[in-house]
Amino acid sequence: MSILSISDLTVRFGGLTAVNAVSLDIPSKEIVSVIGPNGAGKTTLFNAITGIYDPTNGRICFNGEEARRPFRWTTSLMLALVGLVAGLSLVLIVNVEPLWDTAITSNYVYEQTFLWSKAVSAATNYFTESPGQRFAIPFLIGGLIGLSGAFAIWQRTRRAPEVAARAGIARTFQNIRLFNQMTALDNVLLGMDSQLRTRVWHAALRLPLFWRERDESARRAMDILHFVDLEREAHQLAENLSYGHQRRLEIARALAMQPQLLLLDEPAAGMNPAETQELMKLIHSIRDRGITVLLIEHHMQVVMGISDRIAVLDHGEKIAEGTPEAVRSNPKVIEAYLGKS
Amino acid sequence: MPAPRRILFHWSFLVVAALIPLIELLLPGHPQVGDLLRPIFIMAILGLGLNILTGFTGQLNLGVAAFMAVGAYSYAILTCDIYPFRLGFWSATTLTVLVGLTVGLFLGLPTIRLRGDYLAIVTLGFGEIVEDVLKNLDSITKGTQGINPLPAPSWFGYHFRAETYQPWYYLFLGFLAVLVLLNRNLQRSRVGRAWISIREDELASSCMGVNPMKMKLLAFALGAAQCSLAGALWASYLGSSGEPGNYDFQVSIIALCIVIVGGMGNVGGVLLGALVIMGFNSIILETVTNFLKAHQIISSSNVFTSPGSWKYMLYGLALILMMRFRPEGLLPSRQFKAEAHPNEPHSPPTA
Repeated sequence: MSILSISDLTVRFGGLTAVNAVSLDIPSKEIVSVIGPNGAGKTTLFNAITGIYDPTNGRICFNGEEARRPFRWTTSLMLALVGLVAGLSLVLIVNVEPLWDTAITSNYVYEQTFLWSKAVSAATNYFTESPGQRFAIPFLIGGLIGLSGAFAIWQRTRRAPEVAARAGIARTFQNIRLFNQMTALDNVLLGMDSQLRTRVWHAALRLPLFWRERDESARRAMDILHFVDLEREAHQLAENLSYGHQRRLEIARALAMQPQLLLLDEPAAGMNPAETQELMKLIHSIRDRGITVLLIEHHMQVVMGISDRIAVLDHGEKIAEGTPEAVRSNPKVIEAYLGKS
Repeated sequence: MPAPRRILFHWSFLVVAALIPLIELLLPGHPQVGDLLRPIFIMAILGLGLNILTGFTGQLNLGVAAFMAVGAYSYAILTCDIYPFRLGFWSATTLTVLVGLTVGLFLGLPTIRLRGDYLAIVTLGFGEIVEDVLKNLDSITKGTQGINPLPAPSWFGYHFRAETYQPWYYLFLGFLAVLVLLNRNLQRSRVGRAWISIREDELASSCMGVNPMKMKLLAFALGAAQCSLAGALWASYLGSSGEPGNYDFQVSIIALCIVIVGGMGNVGGVLLGALVIMGFNSIILETVTNFLKAHQIISSSNVFTSPGSWKYMLYGLALILMMRFRPEGLLPSRQFKAEAHPNEPHSPPTA
């Protein structure tokens, strides 16, 4: 069963087609590598899967459905609310001074009791005198602006990175993107964010849920750091870690999300042979935890050593796919890497 | 729980601050240092509000004075007896905070997708708009004359008076202490972590499942609420809403100086920043000017020789020097970071 199925995916930036009609099925609980020369569109493929880029064409289905914000009744409620508030605000902005004069100023005698009922009826009178000009038109214009603005923002953020992340796709980056001013432990805890139930009020007032979740999540984070062998570095700032440790910390942060699919973008880049061996072991044990791994890598030794399947991209197109042995001997792949003889 | 040593440190700070008015009574001549500390407390609250936005979340805001103005004017309208509302101090303050929250959301919603310089420009414009609206909405805000007089706050039947500053001092100190506590709690929680991650790398943060729009809106709302609380306290302190010109760009810049000089993203740093910047402004500069005038070293007719006229230049110089030599501020947050989780399994740092 495939966990991720990409069909006919095209990503275009202006005139440049970075990924062209790529179809790819990632079977569950396997290690799949994407290889190809520089500029082949591998990272663009990753960015499309994680919702950073919107595909120009084609579908990316994760667990059988597209990772997009669903349109639910709460969405329409939210849109209606924004429209309503925007409409009423514009009514208020347009009428604020005369409304204040008729309802408040003219009804209030200094230090006498103020009759709110009189103010309300004065305000109602003010609007009923000329309902179209004073209420309906500004309300409609404001409502329309609010509604369309909110809808546009919602539409444009339907396929956002956090939606893909919450669906269960975690990733690391080609150029390490840790939170440098946070400790290693905090980096991992941030990866756990979507599983936490603490809200602002719990945090601000230190309600019991905060304490419970704080201890529990810290314990789990330490477990994950232990898994990638960074336990001793837990309280160091991420920027002070060595390069290899930073790479592993990024994997730990992604694992903290409890993903079903883990995308690793060149995890072995810049590592020495010993570190690379350790990394391969780590990726194997991640797969053994039941997490599907999709990997971009240039280290052929790593790719051939751990991949169950390999897909080869060149100039944005998929030119080969199969087991390591099949790909290795595929003439098209050899041509893409070494050129035509 | 924070380490006992640091708890002790914070409490001793609070105790010292609480004792200042009492110590003054014992000293000869009754120096009123606490009186001068009141505006510092209020500016510290303003700085804390800005710190949520700029320090934690990394959203540069150049219009916090507008939030302060909204707070001051809402408080004035709700309490002043030329309007029918005539609320007491506590209910008016609560409502003001809610108004600030709403205004923060209103500004946050349309600007939520802007980043960096663009957001700074929009907030700058927002500050100017609010000032202009307050100037021109004559019938409600009384234009450039401001709303006054405001009744003094009261607590359980005790009415504050302008002559005795001590009750005010404790009122503002209490507000500041509560806000420091709330801000620290937020910083060391899931919320603060998400804010800081957005400051560090918004894309990575959203790839980890944090919804940046939601968290930024939250920061906007909470920051604006705190700034408007500072405005309400300021209005009650002045006994007037102040005129719209009191909430101009310079106030926003002073708030920014407080956050930057103190140390971005660190609550304790903001307090120190407020003490340094405002202390310099309202204590040192005044004392120096008075001293120079008393000894006839400078004449009051020549504005160029008065140190007070040079203060914005000195702020600018301080900012440049800070950026050059200590960009992380006087009390940066990173030292605190490593200590932030002492309760969890901890091993000594490797050599």
